[in-house]
Order: sequence, then structure tokens, then C-alpha cells
Amino acid sequence: MKRKKINVDRVFNTFNGLIMAIVLIVTLYPFLNVLAVSLNESLDTVKGGITIFPRKFTTENYKVIFTYQNLLNAFFISVLRTVVGTVAGLIASSMVAYTLSRSDFQARKFFSTFLVLTLYVSGGLIPGFLLMRDLHLINSFWVYILPAIVNAFYIFMIRTYMEGLPFELQESAFIDGASDITVFIKIILPLSTPVLATIALFIAVGQWNSWFDTYLYNGSNDLLSTLQFELMKILQSTQTGSDMARNNNVLEQMTTVTPDSIKMAITIVTVVPIIMVYPFLQKYFVKGMTIGAVKS
Amino acid sequence: MLKNKKIVLVFGLVIFISLPIFSNSNKEKASETSDKVTTFTAFFADPNSSWNGMQDDVGKFLTEKTGVTLNVEMAVGDPAQKINLIAASGVYPDLISPKGDNGALIESGALIDLTDLIDKHAPNIKAVLGDQIKRLRHSYEDQSIYFIPTLDAINQYYYKVGGPFNLQLDVVEKLGYPEIRTLEDYEAAIKAYVEKYPTIDGQKTIGLSLLADDWRIMISTTNPAFFATGAPDDGEFTIDPKTFDAMLHYKRPAEREYFRWLNHMNDIGLLDKESFVQKYDQYLAKIAAGKVLAVIDQDWEIGQAVNSLKSEGKFNRTYGKFPVTLDESYKIPVFQQAGFNGGWGIAITKSCKDPVKAIKFLDYLASEEGQILVNWGIEGKHYNYNEKGERIIPADVLDMKINDNNKFKKETGVGNYLLSLRYGDGNKDSTGNYYTTNYPEQILSDYSDFEKKVLKNYNATFWKDLFPKEDEFPVKPWGAAWNIPIPNDSPITVFQQKEQDIIRQLIPEAIMATPAEFDGIYDKMLAQLEAIDSTKIEKEYTSYVKKRIKLWTE
Amino acid sequence: MANVEASKVDLFVKKMYQQRYLYLMSVPFIILVLIFNYIPIWGWIMSFQNFKLGRTFFEQEWVGLANFIQILSDKQFYLVLRNTLAMSVMGLIAGFTIPIIFAVSLNEVSHTGYKKIVQTISYLPHFVSWVVVAGIFYKLLSTDGGVVNDILMKLGFIGEPIQFMAKGKLFWWIVTLADIWKEMGWNSIIFISAITAIDPQLYDAAKVDGCGRFRQIWHITLPGIRSVVIVLLILSIGNLVRIGFEKQMLLSNPLVFDYSEVLDLYALKYGLGLNRFSFGTAIGMFSSLVSVCLLFTANGLFKHYSKESVM
Repeated sequence: MKRKKINVDRVFNTFNGLIMAIVLIVTLYPFLNVLAVSLNESLDTVKGGITIFPRKFTTENYKVIFTYQNLLNAFFISVLRTVVGTVAGLIASSMVAYTLSRSDFQARKFFSTFLVLTLYVSGGLIPGFLLMRDLHLINSFWVYILPAIVNAFYIFMIRTYMEGLPFELQESAFIDGASDITVFIKIILPLSTPVLATIALFIAVGQWNSWFDTYLYNGSNDLLSTLQFELMKILQSTQTGSDMARNNNVLEQMTTVTPDSIKMAITIVTVVPIIMVYPFLQKYFVKGMTIGAVKS
Repeated sequence: MLKNKKIVLVFGLVIFISLPIFSNSNKEKASETSDKVTTFTAFFADPNSSWNGMQDDVGKFLTEKTGVTLNVEMAVGDPAQKINLIAASGVYPDLISPKGDNGALIESGALIDLTDLIDKHAPNIKAVLGDQIKRLRHSYEDQSIYFIPTLDAINQYYYKVGGPFNLQLDVVEKLGYPEIRTLEDYEAAIKAYVEKYPTIDGQKTIGLSLLADDWRIMISTTNPAFFATGAPDDGEFTIDPKTFDAMLHYKRPAEREYFRWLNHMNDIGLLDKESFVQKYDQYLAKIAAGKVLAVIDQDWEIGQAVNSLKSEGKFNRTYGKFPVTLDESYKIPVFQQAGFNGGWGIAITKSCKDPVKAIKFLDYLASEEGQILVNWGIEGKHYNYNEKGERIIPADVLDMKINDNNKFKKETGVGNYLLSLRYGDGNKDSTGNYYTTNYPEQILSDYSDFEKKVLKNYNATFWKDLFPKEDEFPVKPWGAAWNIPIPNDSPITVFQQKEQDIIRQLIPEAIMATPAEFDGIYDKMLAQLEAIDSTKIEKEYTSYVKKRIKLWTE
Repeated sequence: MANVEASKVDLFVKKMYQQRYLYLMSVPFIILVLIFNYIPIWGWIMSFQNFKLGRTFFEQEWVGLANFIQILSDKQFYLVLRNTLAMSVMGLIAGFTIPIIFAVSLNEVSHTGYKKIVQTISYLPHFVSWVVVAGIFYKLLSTDGGVVNDILMKLGFIGEPIQFMAKGKLFWWIVTLADIWKEMGWNSIIFISAITAIDPQLYDAAKVDGCGRFRQIWHITLPGIRSVVIVLLILSIGNLVRIGFEKQMLLSNPLVFDYSEVLDLYALKYGLGLNRFSFGTAIGMFSSLVSVCLLFTANGLFKHYSKESVM
């Protein structure tokens, strides 16, 4: 009887491990493909057929990107907006989420509805732009942070998690005379690390990847330019290089790099810093916090 | 608790300290002007990554000469979005170059009329334009001049054939240089070669491949229909040269025959079955593999693939250009002249600090000195005159220009300042040299030996020699119809979008159908076009064409 | 009577004072939302106007419901609505079940290192743009040396290559599949984090009771993430008509247009793309209203049947 059970377990583990291995290969492919193309000679890439290894190795595509000035400053701004945006977003979302997780909170239903609607309604580009103009947020770093601080989706994710925590934990603290803020900081936050790590990842990736707000609001100010925006500019100008040739019918010179190859190199340059964040956060939700441990 | 407070405190401090760094103060400082130098803010719809904030050689020279420096913002993605926001918010830069997306700016009154400024302060612009200054006027109803054209050069002479009927050099060489004049000849050559060589380098030979990826369908599939039937490029409408009546070009009976030919090519298996499914990169990959015998496309679209072939030394797999038409009664009008189109260019906005200085800056760029500067660079640094008085580029500069064009543009600034009116290729200045650095001898040096051999067998030096010349066609009095400005609220705008939806779906369907079904689908397409009021829209379009002719001649 | 009213108000105010810290923690952010998310909604007024740039608000021409009538009388609109709903329902079903299955299976992997590696790799495609993913799909399914056709030919299932990308009927499936490939790992993160919150003592107890792996999954893991799943589901149902257009546009081609055109692309093509701000806003407003209705319906249903809800 016992032996049979171990066998079932082992079969399950092997089978499961195998499926995970397939997932691993299938999901790794697009990324390896991008990497291989980014390290392959542009004109050779045009022929197609690059899978996971470069055929004619070159670092030319990266060199083209790194000849641009302002990348370092833009990188700094990107890091800054990611850090500030994530910290501010986490503070805001967790505080609001806590209040909404309290079933005795008067404004709970009203605030929830008020927040959830923001996920489905938006006024559009022009009213948004005029608002930023009137708030003097154009040409300012804060346009990256303030409008994005409160995100209803993140709030609901955190709230759901907090609601799952046993209420007795808070109750005893309240009986001891602790305030709402104390309970939030001392009891709720430490227990919520898995969901906070997850949301931190979401916010960080969103902040790191966004370039459109830079373009809309800070496009004319090099000091506030972000890495993603600078890279978008490089990509665009390699593309319009050929468009210009078309409009003016000028004699096109044989270029050594193509927009497609630049695009792949840019993907790698932007993805690598942000995926390095992942392992740091991962430990918080792969291991997680055990409620039992906190209870005792 | 204490630890958390500390974190909050530190965070607050970071915010507090960084506040002044990112406030508006930076901006103010940047645009502060000294007595002599004015900084103009500008928005360009075309991004240029070689733009160096005017810190390149030509830029510094320009600032010294004109007292102007530019703080430029460039479009990323669709320029229309940002331009609409600029128009809506009233936060205009001093100068703006919106390309085709200028409707919103004009409607919102963001741009100033340049007529008087040009008259008083721009002698060079006036001299270059001469009588053609009429063509700068916006429209019949609004005869203001908003733009100094920067896209269309004056008297541009085209040395190169752009397309559309390409045939692999190896095909004509192996078949003994047959005459390629009609679609029949074109088809026969493809067919003979496929039968002789069913595979190329181990891969199946593809007779003819087309491309229909998004807007590219116009370049490779629909526009060639009017070229092959003798009508010039006027966009989706064709203009009757006598009555100036506009008509959707698909309605011309001859074009139905062109598409029928494509249908026939599909029927006999010479058309790539993937033509309307493949993406641009797949299409390029096939061409770069050297296995596609014929492509109906423009040079700039297949350029990457051809460069790839050249880099591998497969010169026999590159393409020759032939004056193919439906039958011998047509002449392919790729060199028919549209004259100077005016149109897209740079404008001065209502917010401009010093419009006079701005127009003087643009006027300097249009002077002979300015044009030589932007095209060639600085004398003694980027070019010299030899004893015969010929302008030549020193070897080290030329080497950088060819091998590291990006660095060349960034350091010298040559090519970064095509921001005003200028002469096109083939025009000579007062020293007897060409204004631009493109001239016929250069093209020859671009041809491979194989290409030269093929051309010699057709008794030609350039591909252009095989084509009907400019003077065989009348100059179109309406210019190019596709750049006639149409107001945003005209029904033509919506119509064109709907028309594209119909064409892009039914033309491929008609070509892929059996020959028996072809007419039925083509008729269905025409009926659908009629159902969205094409006849009414054509009349409306005709009125715009006629108004433009009136505007340009009165 | 008046007394009762007064005491009710008193009670409310008293409770409000009691909960002053909760208000302190939420009201500042509610104000931010009011400013950044609610004020711009004045833009909806544009859909009742023939909005033109450069005119002040009061100079705009009022057209009543003309823009909405134009939308509802366009045949194309119903086609794109059908495609949008079809793809979003398929996306919703696959986009929930598969990441959940993945998260649960990953949780069952006993080797921590392996688990971490699989998880890290699985979310990489999220960072690869749709252009690249669409390109890979086209190459896989090509008739000119595509891997799928090669394999099917070698196995003898088909005589000649199939043009998968030319078949309108397959388009919805291809979009769904591509989406799963790209986003499965990313979408599973939230479920993985929810699983870690489950008290390990529950598993220990189940093992003592002799529960096998599948019964543990069924009785502990899945109920443990139930509330997260339901909240996500409610929020996603609200988004059924708003699915973007990027992947559909990049995966489509002229032969499958009848199946690939979606609402957001239609709005772009006939609205903002032509500078028809009012028309674009009208479509946006329409889809917002549909979203809100769907949201409240879903919320109500789940509240009634499962006691879980967003509001």
C-alpha cells in the first residue's frame, strides 16, 4: 500500500517536471530568438532562418545603440522613476487596500466603486493632456509619478489578499488599544509581503517600460528623458532613414544595420535590467510568509 | 515602527531634495537667450537620430552666421497624436514641421501666414521659387502661405528607376536578353526560367511574389496597376488629363485586365501562394535567398534584401528594371513630371518669439551659400575645390561618410539641416558644380559588373535608358493629386478609409480566385465601392483638383 | 422622529471620528483619483459635438446623438463587435485556466531551484513585443519551410502544406494561442503569490489524513486562491469589449480581415486616425458604458452565488 503511493508520487513528479521542462523550452524560445538576431549581422538576418544561435556573429547592432549620447542620463531617470514610482505606488495601494479590506469601514463600498470605475472609463488623450498642462506637470518629473500612484487594479489585488488574513490577528491588537495605523504597519504589512512583492514587480515593470508619457509630456526636455524613450527614438530614426530615402528618392547607401536588428538589440537592452529585479522579489513569494509563524 | 518611520522619512527627503531638480527651472534656463543668439524651439515629425543639438560643425557655423540655434523635439510613433495635442493645448513650439498632419494646426490657427515675411525678409527663397511661389499657397479658399517646403526639392532630376517591374538579372542573362516590354514578355521570361531551373540553391524557385502587409499592399499590388496601364501616380484617384475628372483608379477597365493577369499568374502557379499572407520580413527573406525571379515593388521596399544579396556577392540575383505595361499601346509613366508640389515643410507658429529672425534663418539656408553648406559642409573641412574648380570631398571625409555614415552626420552635421527650400539633384550652382552630392557618375559606381554587362546587352548605360523619358509626357498641371490638402471634415477622409478596407480585402480575393470567379469578385468590389458613394466622392475630389489648378495658375 | 434622525447623524459622525485614521489613509488618494481619472471625463462631452481643434468649448457645434447613430448604423461595427467578443471570451477562458493550471503545477515542483528557474523563464515572453511574437508565429505556420507544416507533412497527416494564416476560421484560435504563449507566465505570477499565502499546516494536516496530491490541490490549493481568481475574473469580464488591437493587427492579413478586425482598431481607424475626435470619443464612451454594465452584472452575480465581489 505504502509503496504504491510513493510510486504514484514519483510518477506525478516526473510527469510534472517534464511538462515544466516543455514550458521552459517553449517560453524561452522567443527570447533566445531575439537574442540571436540581435547578435547576428543585419544583412544576414534579412535572409531569415535565425532560430536560437546567431549565424554570423556581430556586436554591431549594439554598437549603433551605444553611440548615442544621453543614454546614461536617461537610464538614471528611468531607474529613478522606477524606484520612486514603485515605492510611492506601494505605499498608496497598500494603505487604500487596507482601509477597503476593513468590512467595518463606512466608506468601503463607495470608495471601492469609485476606484473600480477608473479601470473602465477614461476621458481620452486630449482632456488628459490639457489637465497635465493646467496642473503644470508638463516638463516635470512628477508627471511620471503622480497620475500613476493610485491604481485600482493593484489595490483590489492587495485588498483581496488582506481580506484573506484571519481577522483575529487585528482584533486582539485593537483590544490592546492599538490604532488603525499601528495595526496596518505592525501586523498587516509584514503578513502581506507576497502580494506586495508581486505588486511591486507589476508597478516596476510598468514604470520601466513606459515611454509614451515621456513623449507626450517631456519630449522636449532631454534632462527628463527616459531610457525607453531614447531607444524608441533610435528605432524610429533607423526606420525613417529609409522613409526619407523613399520621399526624396535619394540614392540609398548600403547600410550595415536594419531596423529589425536594432529592434532586437533594443529589446535586450531594455529587458535585461528589469528581469534582474525579479530574483530579488521572487524570494518573497516563492517562499512566502507563513501565517502560523507569525501567530506564535 | 521606528524603522518604518525612518523609511518614510528618507523617502520624503528624497522627494523633497529632487523636487527642485525636476521643476520647470531647467527649461527656462535652456531657452534663455543672450543678445546675439536666439534659441527657437521646434517640433519635427521626422525623427533624426543624428541630430546633435546643433553642436556639429555645420550647426556651429550656422549659429555663428545666423544667430539662431534650435531646440528640437522629434516625433516618435505616429506624429499626428502629438501634433493634435500641440494644436489642442495651444502650447506651440516656435517652428513646426508636421509633414502631412498639418490640418489640425491650420484649423486651430496655430500657424502664421508667411506671405509678407517672405516678401520682406526672404530674398533667397523668392529667387529660388520664382513664379512657383503660387504653389506655396495653402488652398483656393485660404491662400495663406504656411509652409516653406522642405520635402520636395526644386527641379529634382531623377537618375534612378524606383520600380515597379523588377526581374532577376540571371533570368534575362540565361534567356539571352529577350525584350521585356509587356506583361506577356514578363510572364514568358518568368515561365521559361522556372521550367529551366525549378530550384535555386536547392530551394524551390518562386516566379513572382507580391506583398500585402498593411499599407504595403498599395506599393506592391495596387499602384502597379496604374503604372502598367499608363496612368501616373495620383494616389487612389486617377485624374483625367483633359477634363480633370477624378475617378478611383480601380474603375479603369484596363486595370481590371492588369488584375486579371495577376489572377492568371496565380492560376498557372507562377504567383507565390503566400503573397497575401506573408509579412514583410518573410517577403524580404525570400528575396534575400535569391529564389524570387520577379517582384513588382519599389526599390526602397526591397532595398534591405538586395543589399543582403550584394553583400554575399550574388549579383546575378539582384534585379533589373523594365518598362513593362499591359500591352504595347501603353507607356509606363514613372518619369512623368508633376512639377513642384509645394506642400509639406516647415512653419512658423503664432508663439514664435521672433518670426523675422526665423524667416531670415530659413532664407539663409535657401541661399546658394546655405545650400552648399547643408549639402556639402564647410569648405576646407568637408570639401575642397581642385584646380579645375570641381568640388571634391577629401578621401578621409569620404571614407567616414561611406563607412560610418551615422558618425559622419553627427560630427559634420551634413544632411541634418535640410530645413528649408533647396534645389534637387541635377542642378548646378554658380561655380558649375552640383548643389547636391548625388550625380550620375555615382550611380554607375553603384552598379555591379554583372549589372553593367546586362545593361550593355540592352544597349543601355542606366536602367533609366530603357524607360520613356520625362519629355514624352506632359507635365501634370495639378501636381500629385495625393498631396492636395483635404479638410478633416470632408466626407473624402472617411471614404478613403472605407475604400481601403474594401480594396485590401477584395483585390487579394479576386487574384486568388479561379479565373472563372474573377469577374464576379471584381464586380462585387466595384459594387461595394459604389455603395459607399464613390461617384459622389469622385465629384467632390474633382472640385479639389480643379481648385488646385486654378490656385496654381491664377 | 427628528431625534432619531439626529442620533443617526450623530452616530455616523461618531463612527467617522472613530475611523479617522482609515479616512486619513484613503482620502488623499481618492482625491488623486478624482483629479487624474475623473476630471478628464469631461472629454465625453465631445461625443455629442462635432469637435474641432482650435475652437473653444462653447464654440463647438452640438450634434446630439448623431455620432452614436452613425456608429450603430455601420455594418462594419457589428462585425468588429462580434470579433472582439469572440476573441475576448476565448481569451478569458484560456487566459484564466491555463495560468492557474501552470501556477498549481509549478507549486507541486519540489525542487526549489528548478521551480525558480521555470518561473523566471516563463515570464520572459511578456517582455518580447507583439511584433516579434507575431513574426515567430508567421514563420512557424508558413508554407515555405514552416516547422508545423514540415512536421505534419513528415508524419503523413497532410499531403501538402496548409496555409494556416489564410484561414479566417483559425484566426481566433491563433490569437488565443499566441496570447497564452506570451502571457501565461506573467499572468500566473499573481496566482503563485496567492498560493504562497496558504497556510502550510493545512497541507500537513491533509497528508496526515491520507490525501493524495490531486486531492490536496482540489481541497486546499484551489480554494486557497479562490478569492483572487474571482476578483480577477470580475475585473476581466468588465474588460470584455476592450481588448486592444495590437496582436490582432499584427497577426492578421488581408485574407482574414473578416475575423481579425476588432473594436479598438475600428475606433482608431475611423476616429482618432482621421482626426475625428468626436466619433472616436463616442466609441470610447460606448465601450466604457458596456464595460461598466458588464462589471456590475458580474459583480452582482458573483456576490449572489459566491459571496465574493469587488464592490
